[in-house]
Amino acid sequence: MSDHAIERVKTGIPGLDELIEGGFPRGDTILIAGKAGTGKSILATQFIYKGATEYNEPGVFVTLEEPPHLIKRNMIRFGMDLDKLVAEKKIAIVDLSPSKEVTPVTIGEYPSFDLSGLEAIILNHVKKLNAKRVVLDTLSIMAYKFRSRDILREEFFKLTASITRTGCTLLLTSEIPANDQGLGVFDIEAFLASGVIVLYNEKISDTSRSRSIEVLKLRGSKHSSRIHSMRITDEGIRVWPEEISPGT
Amino acid sequence: MSKQKDDPEKIEVVLFKSDTCAFCPRAEEVVRETIRDFGSDVFTLRVVNVSENPEAAEEFGIFALPTVMIGGMSVTGIPEPDMLMKMVLGIKVMTKRKVRSK
Repeated sequence: MSDHAIERVKTGIPGLDELIEGGFPRGDTILIAGKAGTGKSILATQFIYKGATEYNEPGVFVTLEEPPHLIKRNMIRFGMDLDKLVAEKKIAIVDLSPSKEVTPVTIGEYPSFDLSGLEAIILNHVKKLNAKRVVLDTLSIMAYKFRSRDILREEFFKLTASITRTGCTLLLTSEIPANDQGLGVFDIEAFLASGVIVLYNEKISDTSRSRSIEVLKLRGSKHSSRIHSMRITDEGIRVWPEEISPGT
Repeated sequence: MSKQKDDPEKIEVVLFKSDTCAFCPRAEEVVRETIRDFGSDVFTLRVVNVSENPEAAEEFGIFALPTVMIGGMSVTGIPEPDMLMKMVLGIKVMTKRKVRSK
């Protein structure tokens, strides 16, 4: 290994590390983009779960969309018991989902705000757990929560920088709207991240769909330029590096 | 948390701010001035510094600062006094209805 070798963070997704030189570059921001139902949240949660259970890296999962009880229920079917890790203080699930009853209803927004509240909430958990991994699921929800897109764009840059400055590797998920050609609702998602991974679940015949994964960019890494088969198995997401997706 | 324990008749106004938020000092001024115009016997102001107390922001799901919360409603950014007035009047009407319906 040379002095300039980039330290890699194992993704915890079987088969994915082989496409990206062994893992995500430590301290980078990685965007996981895909349309609804492509497996973004499962991949991101698996990254946190495996980080804590296999690589001794505590993680903070910030949910802006799905309530924690549903995330836990979804993951237990893959044998991933998130409650146990929360109890052991190996992970934190930060509930910022709209389902929280005490969240006030926003009746006005003036274009003079920042996201220092979100930053403080996340950094508080990072510090408490000495976390090495952070997930923000999903960035897209912010587009519906706030109208001032210009402010959000600038604030996203500040937020991702302040999280990765702690040494954490940050995964952001972004939902690609149906019939959209971009990588999310803000058009800047790809700029925010030094790595972009896109998940697909394309119809390949009248009766079937095929899941696949593409590493669109990963700065500082030689990565596969093909679209590879991916499946959601009983043990979570798995990628077949030798298999090129039949749907593309 | 919508009302102070020591004075249940007063409406509590909560301002969430942080040490790094550039807009927060002005927002605090606007809130304090508006409350003063109404009369201090009507309100209590609670200022939450999220840099010192991030748990409070998490509890209420407050991402953006400044945010002013009155009852179950909030405004984000430096609020216009008119907006605060509307929120306050809304809360007062709701409170009166509750009292009547008891």
